[in-house]
Amino acid sequence: MFKFLKKVQQTDSKSEPEAVHTKLDKNAQHIKQLFSYGLNKDFTFRELTAKYSQEKIEIYYYSSIVDANKVYDAIVRPLLESEGKQIRDVIVAESVKEITDFEQATEHINSGKAIIFEDGNNTAYSIDVAKFEYRGIGKAENESTIRGPQEAFTESLNVNVSLIRKRMHDKQLVTEGKQVGARSKSEVNIVYVKDLVNEEILKSVRERLDNIEADNVRNLELLEQFIEERPYSLVPTVLFTERPGNATSYLEDGHIIILMNNSAGCLIVPVTFWSFFHSPEDRYLRFLFGNFSRLVRMLAFYLTTMISATYIAITNFHSAMLPPDLLLAITASRERVPFPLIFEILIMEIAFELIREAGIRIPNPLGPTIGIVGALILGQAAVQANIISPIIVIITAVSGLTSFAVTDVSINYSVRITRFIFIFSAGFLGIFSLMGAFLAWFMYVASIKSFGVPFFAPLSPSYRSPHDTLFRKAIRNEIWRPGQIKPKDIRKKANSK
Amino acid sequence: MKDHKTLKTRELFAMMTIFVGMKLADTTPSLLSSKASNAFWMIPIISFIVIIPSFLLLIFLLKKYKDKNLIQLLEAILGTYLGKALGFTIFLSAFLSLSLDSRNYVEQIKLLYFPESPTTILYFVFIGVAFIGAKKGLEVIGYSSWIGLPLIKFSMLLMAFLIFDRIILLRIFPIFGDGLDVVLTQGIKKASIFSELFLFTIAYTAFKDTNTFRKGSYLGSFVVIFEITFFFLLYTLVFDYNSVGKVAFPFHDITQYINFGDYFTNVETFFMVFWLLAAYMRFIIFLYLIAWIFAAVFNIKEFEPLILPFAFFTIIIGMIPDNTLLNDLFYRDRLLNYMTPLFISFPIILWIVAFFKGDLKKT
Repeated sequence: MFKFLKKVQQTDSKSEPEAVHTKLDKNAQHIKQLFSYGLNKDFTFRELTAKYSQEKIEIYYYSSIVDANKVYDAIVRPLLESEGKQIRDVIVAESVKEITDFEQATEHINSGKAIIFEDGNNTAYSIDVAKFEYRGIGKAENESTIRGPQEAFTESLNVNVSLIRKRMHDKQLVTEGKQVGARSKSEVNIVYVKDLVNEEILKSVRERLDNIEADNVRNLELLEQFIEERPYSLVPTVLFTERPGNATSYLEDGHIIILMNNSAGCLIVPVTFWSFFHSPEDRYLRFLFGNFSRLVRMLAFYLTTMISATYIAITNFHSAMLPPDLLLAITASRERVPFPLIFEILIMEIAFELIREAGIRIPNPLGPTIGIVGALILGQAAVQANIISPIIVIITAVSGLTSFAVTDVSINYSVRITRFIFIFSAGFLGIFSLMGAFLAWFMYVASIKSFGVPFFAPLSPSYRSPHDTLFRKAIRNEIWRPGQIKPKDIRKKANSK
Repeated sequence: MKDHKTLKTRELFAMMTIFVGMKLADTTPSLLSSKASNAFWMIPIISFIVIIPSFLLLIFLLKKYKDKNLIQLLEAILGTYLGKALGFTIFLSAFLSLSLDSRNYVEQIKLLYFPESPTTILYFVFIGVAFIGAKKGLEVIGYSSWIGLPLIKFSMLLMAFLIFDRIILLRIFPIFGDGLDVVLTQGIKKASIFSELFLFTIAYTAFKDTNTFRKGSYLGSFVVIFEITFFFLLYTLVFDYNSVGKVAFPFHDITQYINFGDYFTNVETFFMVFWLLAAYMRFIIFLYLIAWIFAAVFNIKEFEPLILPFAFFTIIIGMIPDNTLLNDLFYRDRLLNYMTPLFISFPIILWIVAFFKGDLKKT
């Protein structure tokens, strides 16, 4: 009856792994059983007699994830043809690892290696012949810029590391490997510059990766949710970017990058509000142009969260503030509309959110439909049917349009949820409750920390840093690295005094 | 990564200027001007001169007794019981002032913008926001104050700039208003308008180092006195001898005179936005400091859970006065008068006791 109270039996994985035998038969039998040979179609083995020792040899691998030519050139042919004293001298592959137990063997086969068992030898050998298929390097599509490199990360870990190394020739650049997941072990790479990174943050990243309790963590998007501090918070605390150039600029400042297979992007920690607000293009553009773009983005930030709420507050509660002409115009346009103002705004905002969600999910060939339906329903028909007043269309259009200027996907959601909070609070007691909600929201965001770094740093609390917040300095005047992440070397200019 | 004590001079400066400087935009000017007419702008100067020695003395003592906050200092000098008793008195007067002040603010909001909404609802919203803010802790309050400060001060300066064409300098006369004696007595009696500076000393050890606290408090208090005097003078020059005593909310009244050009003529709500921001910040700080003082008196380590009951009691006590006139002109007036001797004298008493105990000779 109380079965659920009983402890779930631990699987064998915790017990001592079985060691590799001296006899080939036993090894073969065991590994075939482990991988359900026969049932498992792509689990293959090749049997041969090595020329150098005249012993029987068996090679095991997944045919679907190895390079068949490489298996032949680097393993099979040398074994059949070459002379030598030991197996290491014979095999011509770039790396040969010795393996003593079956747990390692399983792991290696799963990650695309071929395992060699030799009769009379209680060591197996693992040769890297992996060839996972992945997409080629494409253009960054979600973080578009006009200037700057267009390459984007792709779903292969090795390619992504190479994209970073291509941009940063630094012997201190370390890619540290870690494995997450209990059942399917996935490789995670922590990339950092060894003599810049803050050890405490690095330690905390390692700890959080070690503490992940999951059978399988497939990609970075999931990993982000495993390592963030506050899963229920309104704002994100880990930055995801698909641009290797962007990632490298963070590396140079002493941040930590996390890479994984199967994700066309990387995670950056620790981050602040400003990391989400900035776009890589701000730096690729000249000082004045980049800052102008930031100013526009800040305005967009303000408008997208506040314009609907402000409109409600002013027209509902503080209409005295509006100049008479404008007030009359608004009143006239609302004359035949039956709904209260807040209801009107909500209808339109929700309609906009629906179009947006549908627009993302809709299959490409049907894409244009969204535009037609959206424009017709939202713009024309709703006004003509007197469901909403024309001015609301303008307000919602502005609030919707400006939300696209908030580029980061995560912060975009935060902003859109915030907008609804503000709309409701403005409908309650006008500016009074709107300001209250704003301050509560603001202080909530200010209390968020990403790996110990306050969210509005370096604006407040202030640190010695380039003060790259709302505006940035001219690049040649940036002397410091961001002090809020406490890099080991805070000075950016090694040559000047 | 744990980064302890990130608060610095600028955060304290921001908190002080918002917390105490807000007095220039509430009913304090009308309270004073109803007594001293157009000379009321001198009252803060006199009050400041009267109270600043005590404040500096307290800072001096805190410096001597390294790493102690207000209550710990009281206990160190006066002994546990006497120290706690004095601490509790400070807490009580500050708490009463919080309640009456908050009622006062709510009444302002109600009268100016929501005449038909029930006071209770407005009060709950107001203190509710203050509670949420205070719950976030001193660091976040400090950060937010610093980020909000430029906005608040900018709106104030903009107001001062826009009203400039309505100023007539000669309205400063008669220079002593209803008489020098009135100005002086009121100046001394109302010295407690700066008593809030003292409350910050509870956070003496919470800053990066105590040096930053001292710098911030000097800077903060001098900027506060400057801006309060400046704006009081501005009210005098705008409203003139007789009417300045009858204006209930000088700040809000001035915003009604202001135009942005010919098209935007009623921009008071624009200034209201920043005023509200500052008002919320003020009570967030107030609530937090009071909960802290209470907890320090009663040796409660985790004091943040106390903020909720205190927020509630603030509303309960604040609702006691029947109307805003009684609240402002009677209760608040009296309370300010009673608080003055307390805040002027206690640092002096502390200093005398410390002096005779011989604690001050230690380096």
